[in-house]
Amino acid sequence: MITDQTLTRRRLLRLFGAAATLPVVSACGSSVGGGSGAGGGGGGGGTVKVGLVIPQSGVYAALGTDMQRAWDLWLEQHGSKLGDRTVQTVVADEGETPQTGVPAVQKVLQSAQVDVVVGIVNSATALGVRDVLAEAKKLLVVSNAGAADVTGKSRTPYIWRTSFVNGQISAAMGTHLAQSGFREGVYAIAPDYAAGTEVIAAFTKAFEAGGGKVVGQAKPPFGKTSDYQPFLTGIRASGAKATFCFFSGSEAIAFVRQYAQFGLAGTIPLYGSGFLTEGSVLPQQGDAALNVQTTLHYSDQLDNPNNRKFVEAFRAKYGAAPSCFSVQTYDAGNVLDRALRTAKSLDGDALAAALGGIGTIDDSPRGLWSFDGQSPRQNLYLRKVERRGDTLVNAIVKDLGPQQSQPA
Amino acid sequence: MLVSVLNGFAIGFLLFVLAVGLSLVFGMMDVLNLAHGALFLGGAYVGAALAGSWDGFLAALGIAAAAGLAAGVVLSLLTEPLRRRSHLDQALLTLGIALVAGELLLIVFGDDPLSVAAPPGLDGSVVVLGVPYPTYRLALIAVGALLALVVYAVVERTTVGALVRATVADRDMVAAIGVDNRLVKVAVFAVGSLLATTAGVLGGPIYGARPGLDATVLILALVVVVIGGLGSVRGALAGSLLIGQVESVGRALLPNLASFALFGALALVLVVRPRGLFGARA
Repeated sequence: MITDQTLTRRRLLRLFGAAATLPVVSACGSSVGGGSGAGGGGGGGGTVKVGLVIPQSGVYAALGTDMQRAWDLWLEQHGSKLGDRTVQTVVADEGETPQTGVPAVQKVLQSAQVDVVVGIVNSATALGVRDVLAEAKKLLVVSNAGAADVTGKSRTPYIWRTSFVNGQISAAMGTHLAQSGFREGVYAIAPDYAAGTEVIAAFTKAFEAGGGKVVGQAKPPFGKTSDYQPFLTGIRASGAKATFCFFSGSEAIAFVRQYAQFGLAGTIPLYGSGFLTEGSVLPQQGDAALNVQTTLHYSDQLDNPNNRKFVEAFRAKYGAAPSCFSVQTYDAGNVLDRALRTAKSLDGDALAAALGGIGTIDDSPRGLWSFDGQSPRQNLYLRKVERRGDTLVNAIVKDLGPQQSQPA
Repeated sequence: MLVSVLNGFAIGFLLFVLAVGLSLVFGMMDVLNLAHGALFLGGAYVGAALAGSWDGFLAALGIAAAAGLAAGVVLSLLTEPLRRRSHLDQALLTLGIALVAGELLLIVFGDDPLSVAAPPGLDGSVVVLGVPYPTYRLALIAVGALLALVVYAVVERTTVGALVRATVADRDMVAAIGVDNRLVKVAVFAVGSLLATTAGVLGGPIYGARPGLDATVLILALVVVVIGGLGSVRGALAGSLLIGQVESVGRALLPNLASFALFGALALVLVVRPRGLFGARA
């Protein structure tokens, strides 16, 4: 009896053990099968697999959050569908540099077998995945990275962009400043990396074309400068009538604060590309940011029905205002939705052809825009930081009108 | 120009508070503490986490000081078994600690660079000789000068200071007259680390807190120590103020040569006075 009992107990244990391993084994089996099934089924079935590659860590993590929220919101508002296909999203962390970003794109393409990739904050990553996408013949919709080369010199039919081109934004400011009485002298400052150089080059070209004169220029080391005093002294000494700058993230916070603390804000007005005061940096800059003017293709203050609806929905869901990074990703959903309605298949060539034919996007929160080449032709807005109640906002001063995607 | 000079003083005094501990520990115990930068960064993150109000700022100073003291004792105990081994072994140990500490800070605070607001009342600017200058930096110059004065007075003018200087000069002789110089080492290590974390909190509103800042300030501190001479408080003060001006005025006058100016100054001192400005003779 006693031996029988132990045997039963042992057998019971063994049964438990087997029961515990079974689901694991079957789960492995189904996930493998499911993965390949979805990949194969993507061609003609009712699903589309999207790889959302955004920074979840690193300096751009806050941008990644804004982007993911907008993507989720778009799907929620449209029944999780792009065209008439049900969307399955695979999120991967782009990290900070191409060393993490390129492998993340490779991973979603190869392991997850996605049909389309959306995201990419870093321009070097966007440039670095060019060949990977061309080889896989898959479409990438860049929803931030602004280097001109992405859809310019290094163009491939597989990479489209719903965001902006660095120079598009600063060129508009160059033209504006030349027309607003600052022709005698503007000081230009931006970090010494690719985007900073592009921004300054396009600004200078447009400003000089309008008859303006750049009286000084500085390139603080990117990611290593937190004390801007030496540069601020240089700006004051240059006798400039205004400063044009390009900073983002914590550098934007430090620069704007110190610009006010060293007393330049009162005498030499500060202008910049919109990222200077966009998103999470603005509350941290506080009153130092008041009256800073920037150009950008979006502000949550834009007064149009689509934006009001978008801002309201975004606020209701997340309790925060959307940023341009949100709108860019929201619009990635929008253009893919339009493309998938006409595309014959999910391969890169079919989708690129479909994207080329979608014409003007008339329901974006940023206003009307269309693809000019593979980047947006869109209106840019002159914005000014103002206080509304207890928050700071980028109030719209002026619509600078539609701007071509790559500045001439 | 005046602004640059003032700024040089702000940076210089901050560097002194940071570097004096490194200098004394190295000069006295031959312990090369490469974790010194991590202590500064730890202080900076504490400051970033609590900054915004006076309560937060003072609490950050208190917490950072206590943590620095504790970290100094731990570092001292960890390096104790290696005291008769080569500098390389110590460098490896403290470098390892610095890497682990940096990684832990990264896990806790993320790798987003944080920018730190000065406490209320000090976040504006005042006009100095007709030029607006941030109030916080003026306060930092005052606090830094005061700290420098206190450290200098303690090391150069008190019995405890004499013991410390004696240990720097000849450790074995101090041991021979019956002083347990391990205790001196623990104490100097602890106070030096306290000053490093405090400098981190004080420097927050200027330098912020970000991964990699630990290495940047460690290099600055090492340059200061080498220029000033190992184990010399006077040397650390002179070196800090010199590097502060090089960093500030140099950057304003020769923006493109700023990084060269720093190490150029180092090279010049090494050529002219190989043991540093105030270093002990061989």
